[in-house]
Amino acid sequence: MTTPRVRTEGLSKVFYDDGRGEVVAVDHVDIACDGGEILGLLGANGAGKTTTLRMLSTVLAPTHGKAWVMGHEVREEPQDVRLSLGFYSASTALYPKITPRETLAFFARVNRYPADRVAERVEYLVDRFGLGEYADSRVEKLSSGMKQKVSIARTVAHDPPVLIFDEPTVALDVLNAIELRNIIAQLRDDGKAIIFSTHVMSEAEQLCDRIAIIHEGRILATDTLDGLRQATGCHYLEEIFVHYAQPTVTP
Amino acid sequence: MKPSQAVGTIYRLELRSLLRDPRTLLVSIVLPVVLMPLLLIVSNRVERGREAREQARTFKYALVGTDTAFFRDLLADLPGPDAEDADSASAKFERVEVDDPEEALEDRRVDFFVEGMSPEEWRSVLSEDTTRADELEEFNDTPVARVHYRSNRATSNRGSSAIRDRLSGVRRELRDSTLVTAGFPIDPADLAAMDTANVASEREVSGARLGRMLTMFVLLLMVMGGSVMATDTLAGEKERGTLVTLLTTAAARTEIIWAKTLAVVTLAIAIALVQVVNLWVYLGLGLIDVGSGFAASITPATSGILLVLYLPVAALAAGVLLVTSAYAKSYKEAQLFLTPVILGLTLPTLAPFLPEVTLSSAIILVPLANLSIAARDVLVGQANWFAVAVAWVVTGAAAAYAMRLAVGALQDENLVTGADSDRAEFLGGPALFRKRVLRWFVVFWAVKVLIDMNVAFDDLRITALFNVGVVFLAAPMIMIWRFRLDPREALALRAPKPGVWVGVVLGAPAGLIVATLVFQLADLVIPVPRELLENFGQALMPDDIPFWQIVLVLSVIPGIVEELSFRGVLLHGVASRFRPLATCLIVGGIFGFFHFQIFRIPGTALLGVVLAAVTLWSGSIFPAMLWHTLNNALALYLGSTGVELAQDSWLVYAGGVVALALAFRIIWMNRTPYPGLRDGLAEGVDP
Repeated sequence: MTTPRVRTEGLSKVFYDDGRGEVVAVDHVDIACDGGEILGLLGANGAGKTTTLRMLSTVLAPTHGKAWVMGHEVREEPQDVRLSLGFYSASTALYPKITPRETLAFFARVNRYPADRVAERVEYLVDRFGLGEYADSRVEKLSSGMKQKVSIARTVAHDPPVLIFDEPTVALDVLNAIELRNIIAQLRDDGKAIIFSTHVMSEAEQLCDRIAIIHEGRILATDTLDGLRQATGCHYLEEIFVHYAQPTVTP
Repeated sequence: MKPSQAVGTIYRLELRSLLRDPRTLLVSIVLPVVLMPLLLIVSNRVERGREAREQARTFKYALVGTDTAFFRDLLADLPGPDAEDADSASAKFERVEVDDPEEALEDRRVDFFVEGMSPEEWRSVLSEDTTRADELEEFNDTPVARVHYRSNRATSNRGSSAIRDRLSGVRRELRDSTLVTAGFPIDPADLAAMDTANVASEREVSGARLGRMLTMFVLLLMVMGGSVMATDTLAGEKERGTLVTLLTTAAARTEIIWAKTLAVVTLAIAIALVQVVNLWVYLGLGLIDVGSGFAASITPATSGILLVLYLPVAALAAGVLLVTSAYAKSYKEAQLFLTPVILGLTLPTLAPFLPEVTLSSAIILVPLANLSIAARDVLVGQANWFAVAVAWVVTGAAAAYAMRLAVGALQDENLVTGADSDRAEFLGGPALFRKRVLRWFVVFWAVKVLIDMNVAFDDLRITALFNVGVVFLAAPMIMIWRFRLDPREALALRAPKPGVWVGVVLGAPAGLIVATLVFQLADLVIPVPRELLENFGQALMPDDIPFWQIVLVLSVIPGIVEELSFRGVLLHGVASRFRPLATCLIVGGIFGFFHFQIFRIPGTALLGVVLAAVTLWSGSIFPAMLWHTLNNALALYLGSTGVELAQDSWLVYAGGVVALALAFRIIWMNRTPYPGLRDGLAEGVDP
């Protein structure tokens, strides 16, 4: 049995808040994700999705527990972890004054992609994500749809084996959201290990191979959609989510 | 921290983004480059025009008084408005007749007036002024010309100065001719003739003059350009969301800070170089007159040395600006922090203005101040190269430390993610106050500076009452009202345990001794002119105010009211955000900086730290109020009686330290928890 590309054990995060004192944002989370798989992290706002993914990407340090990306522990080898992953969220922006082509070259170089192959990689990404028309216009002049494609391209600029998408469709219109989901599915088909957080049930249903339901910082269940249906007796994901998160509420 | 591929990549991105941003370019490069020469040209033209007008001006004056005949004769030969042979530097005068000279001076009908006074009148004037008793004693019953003018008007000032020169000259001629007539054997002007020989070379004179302000000037230029980029590169990126993107790449935090510091340093040095070249061009065009020795003091070799000397200055400025930017949660907040930061950076570069300060003193350990002195020595041509190298290393180490702080800020999760700011912004009230308290005190400090510079009363009592009773009372009240704070909580209005008072009565005099020791130690680094101290002491002890009133306005009222501001609302806001030790240091430091004279800052900051600790331990503001009052009253009493508390005796200083420790112990043993402390009852400052 091989080790999953992403794995956490008892991963926890406690914040200190001036008003509320200590707040447990993530409470002993255990998840795993392997290549060619999309693991959906499904939870309401404030459930702990972003905090979990920020710990995986080393922006935040875990209070307790451990997490590994490609065998590298997030606290012990943060740089190797970041080298192995691409992180995308609605709040990760692009540099406005440079062009998409320069953006891709920058992120490839800063993520240690072999210098002699950067130009080739940039051309491949421009072609694959259809950026050709505006590859040499400044990012600040692009539409939000164009920026989104550039953002995804920069996430995979260094061809990382693990991709993290933190609520990527939250600010997108329907057509752009569909296009983004298609790209993510293609990346899964390329063999990437993908962790995808969302609070949109339909998105998780369509895209994710396995779904981890997170509520108040804790993982309540992790399985395929069929597995969750069998375990709960509910058909729709919304019902399944409510079944775990708030058993007393009828959807 | 080894520069790597990531450093170069981020560095190039920073510069590319800068060069493509017209607004940043305009503010950081174009405006200073165009604006400075423009200002120089305009100010030079205005000044030359003013000088030409002044030289062509005929000063109007009136001659009044009971004894004008004598002075009318003396002034008879003054060049009139139509005088042609007067050289361009000579003043011309026109006498006008006026009924009321004071009104004429007020209405600008005359620039000044000369009052001829009889000996009796002058004697009466002197006898009314107790400070001129010596003059009265030596007065020889001769007529006196008193020149009345308004020093706030340039023309009146210049005219009165010209007439005084004229009168002095006439007096000298009269005196000499009288002596010669009386049989003085030689020309009186030749008696005990005197000459001076300035052994300083032109280079040394110009170097000393230029060296006093060069570092400050260069630093300001660096900061002017660098601050725009530093603010944008961390606080701006945080706001735009690109910082999180960058933090999820394989670049290490140290690499990110290295790259950004290099970018800010590059811009700072580029702007400084452009400005210096600019300056040279305008010197060449003669728009600035610096004397002939200037070129001698700035040789190409000296310029090269100065460039190397200023590298750590640029690095430290960049590091401090980046730390400021990193700790700000938004671009706007970073801009707010910039003013005090730039002031703080500039302050040490004023060191060359201090008399007789050299690199062989402890100032060699003060970053920026040491290189300011080193630059002056290099310009004068009298550098001690070993000391210059040490100064360079010290400032370089400070720059490295600033960069380390910036790296630390990138690892501070709250700063990077702004975790709970939105909630506090939404809730407002006490939750928001904790986040805003330092910002409010920066504004409070700025308001206090403005008030001190613009509002002055002749009476010390009114000044003190206005400062303390209005300013320091208004600030906490406004904060309590604005953030809906509970006054009892915010001001720590709780009764302490009785034993605390024993500690306070013992601690106040002991604290004063320790503060004296701190002052003596600080004096070793930056010596305070004795005259300054004497003037300060005299200003606080006017003879015409009863001592009890001085104690009331300078001890009792500040002891109560200043505590409401500092150990009240400030401590309340800071205590829940920082650990107890940091809280005491922050509150003490801010308290120190509200005492604007530099020599007062170390002692008052120490007192502020002690009072903050006493408040945290006792859970009440009242012991700090008593301590503060006793401290001020004791200092005033000693000042009025001329008694020196420690008399520079190390035994007394050691006794003071022990007594202070004992006082702390007593208060600690009678402690009451201060609500909301992060680590319970101030364990971090357990004595």
